[in-house]
Amino acid sequence: MQRTTLSISHRETISLLIVLVVLLFTIGGLVKLQILEHEELAEQSENNRIRVQPLVASRGTVYDREQRIIIDNRPSFTISIVPSEAKKDITVPNLAALIGLDTAEVNRRLRRNRVSRYQPAPIMRDAPFEMVAVIEEQAGRFPGVSIQMEEVRRYTADLGSVCFTGYVGEVSEEERRRSTDIDYRLGSIIGKKGIEKKYDHLLRGREGTAYIEVTASGQSRGPYEGKPPTPATAGADLELTIDIDLQRECVAVLDTFCCGAIVAMDPRNGDILAMISYPDFDANIFSSVIPESLWQAIMADSTHPLLNRPLSGLYPPGSTLKLLTIGAGLEDGLITENTTFKPCYGGYQFGNRYFRCWNPAGHGNTNLIEALEMSCDVYLYQLGVKLGIDRLSYYLDLCGFGKKTGLGLPGELAGLNPNSEWYDREYGKTKWSRGLVLNNAIGQGEILVTPLQLTQFFCGLANNGAVYRPRIVRKMMFPDGLEVTIPPEIIRQLPFSEHTLELLMEGARQVVQGEHGTAKSLRDERYSLGGKTGTAENPHGENHSWFVGIAPMETPEIIVSAIIENAGHGSAVAAPAVKRIIDIYMGKKLGWSIANSPDTTESE
Amino acid sequence: MLNYRDLDWRVIGAALLLSLIGILLIMSAQHDADSVYRQHFYLRQLVWLLIALTAFVVIIHLPLRLFDVSAYLFYGITVGLLVLVLMVGSSRMGATRWFSFGPINLAPSDIAKLAVLLALSRFFAYTKLPPESKRRLAMSAILTILPVMLILKQPDLGTSLVFWVILFVLWFWSGLSPVYLVLILSPLASLIAASHWQTWALYFVVLLVFLFLTRPGMLFSVIVVAANLAFGIITPFIWNRLAEYQKLRILTFLDPGRDPRGAGYQIIQSKIAIGSGGIWGKGFLSGSQTRLDFLPERHTDFVFSVLGEEFGLWGALIVLALFGIIFYRAIRIAVRCRSRFASMVTMGATAVLLFQFFINVGMTLGFMPVTGLALPFLSYGGTSLVLTWTLIGLIVSAHYRWQEY
Repeated sequence: MQRTTLSISHRETISLLIVLVVLLFTIGGLVKLQILEHEELAEQSENNRIRVQPLVASRGTVYDREQRIIIDNRPSFTISIVPSEAKKDITVPNLAALIGLDTAEVNRRLRRNRVSRYQPAPIMRDAPFEMVAVIEEQAGRFPGVSIQMEEVRRYTADLGSVCFTGYVGEVSEEERRRSTDIDYRLGSIIGKKGIEKKYDHLLRGREGTAYIEVTASGQSRGPYEGKPPTPATAGADLELTIDIDLQRECVAVLDTFCCGAIVAMDPRNGDILAMISYPDFDANIFSSVIPESLWQAIMADSTHPLLNRPLSGLYPPGSTLKLLTIGAGLEDGLITENTTFKPCYGGYQFGNRYFRCWNPAGHGNTNLIEALEMSCDVYLYQLGVKLGIDRLSYYLDLCGFGKKTGLGLPGELAGLNPNSEWYDREYGKTKWSRGLVLNNAIGQGEILVTPLQLTQFFCGLANNGAVYRPRIVRKMMFPDGLEVTIPPEIIRQLPFSEHTLELLMEGARQVVQGEHGTAKSLRDERYSLGGKTGTAENPHGENHSWFVGIAPMETPEIIVSAIIENAGHGSAVAAPAVKRIIDIYMGKKLGWSIANSPDTTESE
Repeated sequence: MLNYRDLDWRVIGAALLLSLIGILLIMSAQHDADSVYRQHFYLRQLVWLLIALTAFVVIIHLPLRLFDVSAYLFYGITVGLLVLVLMVGSSRMGATRWFSFGPINLAPSDIAKLAVLLALSRFFAYTKLPPESKRRLAMSAILTILPVMLILKQPDLGTSLVFWVILFVLWFWSGLSPVYLVLILSPLASLIAASHWQTWALYFVVLLVFLFLTRPGMLFSVIVVAANLAFGIITPFIWNRLAEYQKLRILTFLDPGRDPRGAGYQIIQSKIAIGSGGIWGKGFLSGSQTRLDFLPERHTDFVFSVLGEEFGLWGALIVLALFGIIFYRAIRIAVRCRSRFASMVTMGATAVLLFQFFINVGMTLGFMPVTGLALPFLSYGGTSLVLTWTLIGLIVSAHYRWQEY
């Protein structure tokens, strides 16, 4: 079939038209971008080259009750590699040799922390000054290695304070997801435990922003003139109720033992004067990059340094609970101050089981004061039988056991206050003997308490039954000068009448002051000490040793409870330990020279 | 000796100006580069320009007939070299990418463009077959497809399209009926309409009616229908069943240079650069997009964005005008030439330049996909510049010798 062919002039016209269309298209595109969308795109071009750089706020300082530093910040050096300036086969091997890591590890950190070719990727935080000096002096050997100054958290050494200070670390993915009010960045420092975590929002302050001109690959060109920086706001300082002198004495006291915990509180306001978990770990290790081996060693340590004993260590209260049992008996009208049960001949037959008293020689006939003074188990067995499991549990509950103390630090446990319902659930209905109440009455059995709970209970006894919320932060000092005091707060009243409380306190006094007191060796003419010893049976080994001290007995100002694990009788081990701490307190108050206490001035 | 006054100085002048603007833009683009090596790209380009001008001068002094008679030889040598490089190169990674002549490395695709242009021009200039004959269509298609297949183990859509454009334009210029031209382009329309099946179905009916009315021959009709079906139905059918990452992988496969940072980053940055330039531009060496590294590939593929940012609309219009002069003059020359070969070469060369110009500038303005096609004269790259000036040489030579048969 014959086709029409375009003439040469038609072809020419078509070709020229195509060229025209192409040029018009192009001009149209140019006009659209450069005239119609010019303003918008010009603004985008400005934003494009400005990077918002966070200015990290200085984290708040934490003081003790006398304005001595517990946590502050110190400058540190971070060794980084700027990838664009690093030389292959020189930088990494030389740096690895200097900082004592293998090249594979350095390369791993380089990859993990790399943001862009021009931004320093941290390799080692908190590097020692000697390393920094070598890098500065022999810069030629370390091309692309740069040093940055960063503030890191400094926890005053040897205070045993990590159980309440906690520590800080880089924010985790999960924490970033969960946080709604604060916009954490990758690498932001956040409180991980303790006060650092609970008061993180105050301590951290508010980040500022600097505007810097950058290239597309992130290389800085210096500050951008168009926008002045917003300065960072430093975090609030906190004043704690802790007394460093007592805290140091706690460390000294526990230093000779394997493991234990001490809590010192002021019954008049719930102030925690000292609190220690022993052994613990140095919160400063989290400031730099923790060597894997150190972390492994902490994790594998059989003494559990990561266990926060005062808040989450669960122990049977032992005989220290006897005050509660007797208080319950008095309130329920089962006994009076003159009631005596069957005399103690070293044990008590209940059903087909024989329950021993701790003293095989027996205590003979005792009233409740004497039962407390000598810690007679047999008296308490007989009272326990009358009281029954659920009544005892009822009083335990009203005294704050089986629930958190209200301190509010993360990780605190509630302990265990078993009642018959609990036993039914645990062992099955009718599968458990009523004899269990005998154990519970003397603080053995299934009841579990934390050292803080027990201290809080004794504070209530010593403060006419009014129980304060434990307070550890008493003042917040904001950078603008605003100071906010956290007032003491009564959170419950013990279910004991004034008369009951008087009797219980008299029992506690006799424990030290009485002729037969289990802690009579602590007697001291300078002040009147009371308290209660305890021995918590430990199925896994040697018994735990408890003592809760109260001083001065006339108007109690300090309660110190100590548990020393696997140390035997409370009277022998925990009681002298508590005495040493109360001595420091009374010494400061009455103006003695404080014997055996370490230098109280700041070590740095 | 040539009579220099009779050379087409409008084309030469425009080309020279464009080349010099290119060197300025490359200088600006790499002004703040972090390596001195990159900062000196414009000097390298200057050296390349001298080489390109030498090639140009040699070409205009040679008789055009020489290119005519040696077109198939040149084509054969090129194909032979491509085969050779492919075999030798298979043992060494990346060796297939370049021809090395001492210190000068030439991209095979640029040489192949020239070889295909010359061979097709000779074929269309002398063939006695009628424009619609199947043999003519098939042979010219085979001449085109052979080097394309040899160069592109990995199909680079942009580069291979240049070859098809040469073929299509020479079909058109050698008198192929517009009916055929329309039908040949019809699969493209299918591809565009494919996303909306009702539109495509309507289009397909129109196509069938068109085929029935024009009756371009059974085989040709079958091929057209099959191609339209493939583009219109089967391609989207398969495409929609692919996972997102598979689509991305195919797109990257078709076009290795596309969007390494994702989300249209290059295009966005290019549009910001051009748009923020406004009418008067930010001034030479003062483009923040360029200077601060936001513009990717700014001395090669996105050199037009540097122009738009630093010299604004007026600078871009000047460059457009210079290109316009070349295109206009070249088409006039192609019409005027008495030699069919010279006419074909000129038209093919114009097609290469125009197509690369449109795709590249369209890409920087954001209405064309990202491909690796260089902007003639302006983009950094020695081979591209030498090829461009070779094409200009052929056009100027065709103009000078327009009376020759």
